[in-house]
Amino acid sequence: MRRGSLFQLILIGVLIGAAVSAVALLIPWLPPSASVERGRIDIVFWIVTAICIGIFAIVFAVSIFSYMRFRARPDDDSDGPPIHGHTGLEIAWTAVPTVLVVVIAVASAVALAKNDHIPADHMTVEVTGQQFAWSFKYPAGGDVTTTELRLPLNKSTELKLHALDVIHSFWVPQFGQKQDAVPGITTHLKITPDKVGRFPVICTELCGLGHALMRSWAIVMKPADFQKWLKQAKKGISGPGAGLAVFNNNGCGGCHTFKPASSKGTVGPDLDDLSASAKKAGQPLEEFVRDSIVDPNAYVAPGYPPNVMPKTFGSLPKSQLDALVQYLVTGGKQS
Amino acid sequence: MEIAHVDVAERYDLDGPPPASGWKLLTRPGWIRAAWMTALFFGLGFGLVVLFRWWGNWQPIVDWQPIIVVALLTTAPIGFLAGLGAFDYWIYWALGKATRPEDHSGHGARSWKDYFRINTDHKVIGVQYVTTTIFFFLIAGLLAMIMRAELAQPGMQFVDNQSFNGLFSVHASLMIFLFVIPAFAGLANYVIPLMIGAPDMAFPRLNALSFWLLPIAGFMMLSSFLVPGGAFAAGWTNYTTLSIHQPLGNVFFSMGVQWAGASSIMTALNFLVTIITMRAPGMTFWRMPLLVWANFTTSLLVVIATPFIAGSQFFVMFDRVMHTHFFDPSAGGYVLGYQHIFWFYSHPAVYIMMLPGFGIASEVISVMARKPIFGYRLMALSLMAILILGFSVWAHHMFVSGMASWLRVPMMITTLLIAIPTGIKVFSWLATLWDGRINFSTPMLWALGFVSMFVIGGLSGIYLGAVPIDIHVSDTYFVVAHIHYVLLGGSLFTIFAGIYYWFPKMTGRMYNERLGKLHFWLTFIGFNATFFPMHWLGLHGMPRRVADYAPRFGDLNFVISIASFFLGASFLVFVYNMIVSWARGPVAEGNPWRALTLEWQVSSPPPVFNFDEIPQVVGAPYEYGVVGARHAVFNGDRARVEAGDLEKVH
Repeated sequence: MRRGSLFQLILIGVLIGAAVSAVALLIPWLPPSASVERGRIDIVFWIVTAICIGIFAIVFAVSIFSYMRFRARPDDDSDGPPIHGHTGLEIAWTAVPTVLVVVIAVASAVALAKNDHIPADHMTVEVTGQQFAWSFKYPAGGDVTTTELRLPLNKSTELKLHALDVIHSFWVPQFGQKQDAVPGITTHLKITPDKVGRFPVICTELCGLGHALMRSWAIVMKPADFQKWLKQAKKGISGPGAGLAVFNNNGCGGCHTFKPASSKGTVGPDLDDLSASAKKAGQPLEEFVRDSIVDPNAYVAPGYPPNVMPKTFGSLPKSQLDALVQYLVTGGKQS
Repeated sequence: MEIAHVDVAERYDLDGPPPASGWKLLTRPGWIRAAWMTALFFGLGFGLVVLFRWWGNWQPIVDWQPIIVVALLTTAPIGFLAGLGAFDYWIYWALGKATRPEDHSGHGARSWKDYFRINTDHKVIGVQYVTTTIFFFLIAGLLAMIMRAELAQPGMQFVDNQSFNGLFSVHASLMIFLFVIPAFAGLANYVIPLMIGAPDMAFPRLNALSFWLLPIAGFMMLSSFLVPGGAFAAGWTNYTTLSIHQPLGNVFFSMGVQWAGASSIMTALNFLVTIITMRAPGMTFWRMPLLVWANFTTSLLVVIATPFIAGSQFFVMFDRVMHTHFFDPSAGGYVLGYQHIFWFYSHPAVYIMMLPGFGIASEVISVMARKPIFGYRLMALSLMAILILGFSVWAHHMFVSGMASWLRVPMMITTLLIAIPTGIKVFSWLATLWDGRINFSTPMLWALGFVSMFVIGGLSGIYLGAVPIDIHVSDTYFVVAHIHYVLLGGSLFTIFAGIYYWFPKMTGRMYNERLGKLHFWLTFIGFNATFFPMHWLGLHGMPRRVADYAPRFGDLNFVISIASFFLGASFLVFVYNMIVSWARGPVAEGNPWRALTLEWQVSSPPPVFNFDEIPQVVGAPYEYGVVGARHAVFNGDRARVEAGDLEKVH
């Protein structure tokens, strides 16, 4: 190979490498990071990207150079030189990728081990997925249950994931961590948030017709704010006003109108005239309200489709469920 | 070389039995008998289910789910096949009746009607396969167009959620089981016996049966749109426990896969026996073209792996129909067990969908660059390496599934190791181009397009192989982008390379080169514009398999949808080119590409029994540039070689 050709080839390679690097660096390929774990994932991402840019540049430089240089002229019926192989080259392109693969594997294994390690000083949240909603239970807060996840900043939290019907998958892109919730087993995920903010929780495992709507929020708070919230939430669900607290924690007002809670949702039936509905369903009021929360499809109010209300509320701890039922049955008068 | 033209109809009795009349019209093999036998067998299945339910006193006695599984999806197709005549010879033989003497009437096609019959000629079957798979490819593509229309804007516009889930499930199932896998099987069916110098496949009647299972599987999957509750909608992965809770359409997937899988296994066995036992004299394993090597390894993958998906779908269906608890956690079933069994097939299936394409790329690149394949033996050995490693990586689809966490690192290592044999292949193709005389014909454009797009798909595969990154992007549009770079940029491009490359051999006519190139460039541009932006969507938080998404992804999805319509329209050029060229294209020479492999040493299309003289293989298949090198000589040639007269012949 002549020196001029080699120079051309290298020039093409450098140009392609520069162009691809620009694409990699100028476009924001990753969403903002909000957890220590995402930080480690990003490091592996950039190691892999650097290696890929190198491979891409070599492959496309050789291809484009060959297309330009070795194009057959229309009247050229000759054959190329009968080169059958080159042992040195073949060893090189077996050995070099092996080394690169080892680099990626080691970096990945280290990041994975660190992302999996749960320190002794951690908080636990029980996560339950059900068609088509998430619920979060805080053992440290007297099992207070919410539909949005709240996490303290800079503290490792272990999520214990459960699924009640089909497989769901918990993902927050800014945390980079994802884990399926599988019926019959408990799965685990560690998150250490390092930014205060509100981030989307997305179900990523196809779970039926409402899969696209199975969304929630993860809210990262300063540790002091979180403790204050947790304390209030814990107090809220035990003392007077427990019903209202459970109503708000579980986002009931998002879909239902209920004047005592000043909620104006219209997705589900109005909760201000529950006794009329109970009559239509032919059930005693308290039994009707409890059944409707635990098993929403048992009786569906006329004019509303079935399968819209999540069945997750069946997993509310008994004391909270009792408080909620009392709150609704008494028309907002607290027990 | 002048090709001896023998009037085959004269040499063998190819006219077949005389035309039938009266009752014979109803009882001779064909579509009329298929129609009433389908109905009869449906009735038998129906009766069987009702009888058993009545006997066991199971209420209701007429239960449509088991009736559909048994009568519509199992016995009726058997009746259809029996009516067409797929089993005639075997049944006569099994009953001890005189089998009809082989009059060779099942060979060759003299009119278009012969393509709609049981035909035992591997060349007819090859054409049947390719046209059938293109038909399902176009339908599956249309389903994708409907999905992209829905996804052009956030919110719901054209279809509801369940229909959308059905659309992508049927799209993927048709593309995988009715297009990519059988399209490769069809091309190989046509080419492999010719390439190894054999008159046909080892088991021609089994070959005919394997083809006719395919349309059954395809129409089964498509017809699921018509049943109450809509098409199967749990994805082509059909994960439990979702699939168990889905409407009736789900069993159409479980059973469709059985028919397509049976077809795959039969064809693969046929390829293995053909390749092992029917090579021409002198065709050692190290003289086989790489396409033959590729289909040899693919067939090994198919026969070992396919029973696993059959099992996984049977278990799911039993959980639904027979109330077993294989995957029901409330009764001790194990949900992740399904995924392990499923991916134990479906990862090797990725290589079932790639390796034949590697073979096609090797054929085309060597011929069009006028150079021997660089590192032929390492190319063949890397196929074997992929075969073996391919069975040790299945759980990389399950990094976030909740399986035993220690399993992730070993699976990551084997996954990344596959990059090495794959890299060897890519570098060897590039080295084959080096210093060649590259002819940028349509097949070559597709083959080179495949190499470059497959490199991008391979690189995004490294991201997915690295566990921490996979945890972030698993089940997002990043995965959608990756599989389409691998299966569209990889498999589809090589299928087109193969179709254009062997079109003159199969039809005896030449396709239109300008339209072929136009088709390539439209598809190439549309493909990249559609799928490259999906990487970004996935990294930023758009999950796959959703009809609705966050409004901030709206603009990019709109662009992707427009690009996908452009991509879809590009195949109209292909369809036009194929139909017009097949009907009216210029007559093709026997060897328009000046190739050395055996299929090009006979006329286009080849004689009914491929070779009028058995070829004698004397050298490697890709000796371009080697003065006086021959891959094979024919008997007539040999006499002339001995007489020192060969140069005059060529």
